[in-house]
Amino acid sequence: MATVLIDGTEIEIGDGERLNAIEAAARAGVSIPYYCWHPGLSVVGSCRMCLVEAGTRDAAGRIQMGPKLVPACNTLVRDGTVLVTQSEKVQQARAMVEEGLLLRHPIDCPICDKAGECLLQDYYFEYGQADGRRADIRPFTSRRRDLGDVALFVDRCILCTRCVRFVREVSGTNELLVSGRATGEEIDVFPGFPLANKLSGNVVDLCPVGALADKDFLYRQRVWFMRSHPGVCTRCASGCSIWIDENQDRIHRIRPRENPHVNRWWICNDGRYDYPHVHNPARLVGARQRKGGDTRELDFTGLAGQLRAALRQAGRLGAVLSPFLTLQEAYLLAGTIRQLDPQALLALGPVPLAGEDERYPGGFTISKEKCPNRFGVERILGRMAGGVIRFDHFVEQVAQGAIAGAWVSGGYRQGWIDEATAAKFEQLRLLVVQDLFPSPLSQRATYELGGAAFAERDGSYVNRQHRLQSVAWAIRPPAGVRTEGSILWELAGRAGLYDAAATLRELAAEIPFFHPALGTIPETGLDLLVNQIA
Amino acid sequence: MKSDDKSIKWVEEPPLGLAGRSYVPLLVGGITTTLKHLAGPKMTVESPEQRHAIVDPLGYRGVHRLNRDAQGRVKCVACFLCATACPAHCIDIVAAESPWPDREKYPESFTIDELRCIFCGMCEEACPVDAIELTSLYDLSGKSREEMIFDKAKLLSVYDQTKDAEPMRSAQADRATDSACPDSGERGEEPI
Amino acid sequence: MYLVIESLIKIGVIIGGLMGAAAYLVLVERRVAAWIQDRRGPNRVGIPLTEIRLFGLGQPIADGVKFIFKEEFVPGHVDRLLYVAAPMVMFVAATVLFAAIPFGTVDLGIAGWAPINLVVVPGLDVGIIYIVAVSSIAVYGVLLGSWASNNKYAFFGGVRSAAQLISYEIPLGVAILGVVLASGSLRLEAIVEAQAETGVWNVLTQPLGFLVFLVASFAESGRLPFDLAESEQELVGGFHTEYSGIKLMMYLVAEYLHMIAGSFLIVLLFLGGWHFWGLTGDGPVAGIGVALVRIAVFLAKVLAVILFFMIARWSWPRFRFDQLMGLAWKVMLPLGLVNLVGVAVWIEYLRAPLAVSGLPERLVMAAAGWLLLGVAWLAAMAAAPSARDNRPDLSLVARYRDSREAR
Repeated sequence: MATVLIDGTEIEIGDGERLNAIEAAARAGVSIPYYCWHPGLSVVGSCRMCLVEAGTRDAAGRIQMGPKLVPACNTLVRDGTVLVTQSEKVQQARAMVEEGLLLRHPIDCPICDKAGECLLQDYYFEYGQADGRRADIRPFTSRRRDLGDVALFVDRCILCTRCVRFVREVSGTNELLVSGRATGEEIDVFPGFPLANKLSGNVVDLCPVGALADKDFLYRQRVWFMRSHPGVCTRCASGCSIWIDENQDRIHRIRPRENPHVNRWWICNDGRYDYPHVHNPARLVGARQRKGGDTRELDFTGLAGQLRAALRQAGRLGAVLSPFLTLQEAYLLAGTIRQLDPQALLALGPVPLAGEDERYPGGFTISKEKCPNRFGVERILGRMAGGVIRFDHFVEQVAQGAIAGAWVSGGYRQGWIDEATAAKFEQLRLLVVQDLFPSPLSQRATYELGGAAFAERDGSYVNRQHRLQSVAWAIRPPAGVRTEGSILWELAGRAGLYDAAATLRELAAEIPFFHPALGTIPETGLDLLVNQIA
Repeated sequence: MKSDDKSIKWVEEPPLGLAGRSYVPLLVGGITTTLKHLAGPKMTVESPEQRHAIVDPLGYRGVHRLNRDAQGRVKCVACFLCATACPAHCIDIVAAESPWPDREKYPESFTIDELRCIFCGMCEEACPVDAIELTSLYDLSGKSREEMIFDKAKLLSVYDQTKDAEPMRSAQADRATDSACPDSGERGEEPI
Repeated sequence: MYLVIESLIKIGVIIGGLMGAAAYLVLVERRVAAWIQDRRGPNRVGIPLTEIRLFGLGQPIADGVKFIFKEEFVPGHVDRLLYVAAPMVMFVAATVLFAAIPFGTVDLGIAGWAPINLVVVPGLDVGIIYIVAVSSIAVYGVLLGSWASNNKYAFFGGVRSAAQLISYEIPLGVAILGVVLASGSLRLEAIVEAQAETGVWNVLTQPLGFLVFLVASFAESGRLPFDLAESEQELVGGFHTEYSGIKLMMYLVAEYLHMIAGSFLIVLLFLGGWHFWGLTGDGPVAGIGVALVRIAVFLAKVLAVILFFMIARWSWPRFRFDQLMGLAWKVMLPLGLVNLVGVAVWIEYLRAPLAVSGLPERLVMAAAGWLLLGVAWLAAMAAAPSARDNRPDLSLVARYRDSREAR
């Protein structure tokens, strides 16, 4: 047990922990400003923003302070370490660092996308000098250089080298480097080797100023207009924690949300740029009924009752539970279909696979399984259907006429089912399809319902590491769409509005594997397997 | 409120003097004032023919305009600060990368709903490049709501109309666009 | 037959004249109000479909057209029959008043033609009583309208109006009595002729009666400072809150007619009617030229009084309701009675000795009248409280509440 004294506050640090002064101070409730340090990257101590006074206290309680300021990021705390972070000396040092950084920084904040979440801005207000000593007119533009996946505004860079360390240590692709010397130092790439890897978007989040800009987000929104909602990426089975930044029900960007158990500080570009499909005008909206050649638009009022009656009359039922469903939706669907027909055939929807798992040196993995909840849906099927029936088998059963009515849930990106497979569903008496996009199958459906995209759903997902994460909706679905959850809630004959938390408690109580979810679920999720054993 | 509510403060009428009780000075005073004004000068400005003299046109808050830079392009850099400051949420901007080599960001579309606007002048205060200004045009009217939603072209035409009477306010008017940055212009670099 | 045609012509002239006058007086009022407020008032509307402006003389046409074409909205909660009837009652009562207003008598000089009496109902012996009686009907219009509107603001206005009109009719009547007593006739022609004969108008001999009559006719016509019945600021228009379109116009025109009628009465009773020294002669019957002069003089006087009404509107603030009632009952009625008693005493006891003494009777009477005014005014001043404690008796309120709670 080590005792550290920070600004007069004593804190205890566990024996196995290696904390630098910034992390230790954070525990004491003291924030030390920094640019170049990042918990996920190696320490360089180049920005000098985190300079603090450090010293030691011996057993007799005498305090001996060091003669010079030391960078907090590079100072490991030990028993008896004394840190002073608010002294005049420290504050003066910070102000000088700010002034030095701003000497060559263009004041083009109005056109810089980082403005509003820029560390340089924030620290200038907190630690900078009230009156600048530079009297000339600041440049309003910055040179722009194309680095490949992202754009670099050369003059805005403060050379913290976080991006360079990232491509060396985490993505392992080594595209970025610092070229030049002294005042000529600039971030650059080798000619012919642009920044191009699946994690490249993270350098934009890493950049403490507006030097690295996301070409996808560039000039789309000012950050202060957006609200951030915690979410879970549904692009692959890894289930990265993300922030969904939205303004007026329109997603403008997706950022990683720190989660030490899943994605640490990173997400891949696949997940980061995965949101445009949410606002694709081709999405399936509304509800319609097809009878013979007629198509009739339906109102959502009373629709659940109509569907229930139709399912009841259809005969032998079957349901396809898509791996894009949340646990709650899968549970409600399986439960309702089983209630209407106890012999109903419940199958898992097709699981999209692409290549192999991609692993990065920084411990980041992109799963080959391009769906968020196969594991969770399988567990529900295992309990409620006695085993997991594959989609191919379900299609066979349909083709043989063993099933008269089917409910197929989608949520896939476009093109998940081909004409030939869909044609086999034609002999069903009743086919209900709720999907994100029109597909050959939805065009053959008796009832065709628009479905919700990932940011519009309330619910829980279980990722490939058995980690259960619960999220709330970030945006409202487009007009004419009701989420799977609310339709299934009504279909199950429940009163009131869809309540994801209550449904999760219910299914956790019913299915032993999910018992741990009865308690509170932390923001970083809950490992179901580990908690099973415990 | 009940008449014996404790929060009611009852105020005594001021006592009338003898003159007051006779009513005569009061009646005479009233009618004297009236007659004086009856014959006095009139304040009305007969609007379409006569115009209000605006004492300080630069401080007046009338219809907006979007200023042009020295090359006649829209001066706005689409920073959204006006939209942020606007308490009526009447400014809608769509930003984009500018088509010009020496400028980075520009407004692809810039619309102000003049019907929503409350002419508080916050947009003008917020603008870092003095691109949006309120002119002294005060008689703004239209035949439809759509007509009162001013787009970029319309706002620029207001500038063309008023630039001679009301020059741009900023002393450093061209700071933003005719950049003082000596080493700018690298944007045209070959993509690598 | 001849009489019927003559009456029809007179009625046509009077109604037409009145409607036109009411319309243009609205314009006059708006212009006067504007001038008093340092504005210019409506000066744009001229001949329709042209650019000619004529100082806004087309405004009344525009106003009328506007009123006629406005949606006539009848709220669902009104008592329909009374709601529709009320403005008509008001309007008709205000119009028929003018049947008894005499403009003098003209002798056209055509042989075989009797002199024509320029009044719709010639020789009406109870002229003044007729006018007072008919003008009182207005209160029905107000009350019916406010009741039928089924709206609390309208009802407040109606109740206020009823109390005010009834209260002020008493000083009004008392002031008229003084004039009637002095002239010895109820016929308006006779009253005017009595003033013309001597050349001394009643305003000179009975200034106190004039004052009371003036105040009362302000109150009767419901204009500022006595417009509590329709005070826009408190009652959103009072009894005509729920009216729109042509019905509202009937109300507004009727109020205007009341003001005009009040002005006519003031001129007839106190300001010598058609008489003016050296211009109009003093005999009852006149030739056509003089008759025209008389009409002009008469209308000019009426216009002057109307202008006074308009200017008064912007000069003095509205009374509070308790002040209004106090003024009627505690000030105007006693003053009117003093005037009446004074006139009666004069006629019964002082006239005969004065005639003997050879002094100019009317002048002495005028002097006495002004003396009476001064004395009465001083007395009223002395009796008036210097301030009024308007607080409710809180002990009463508390006792009321206790008794209610006990119940």
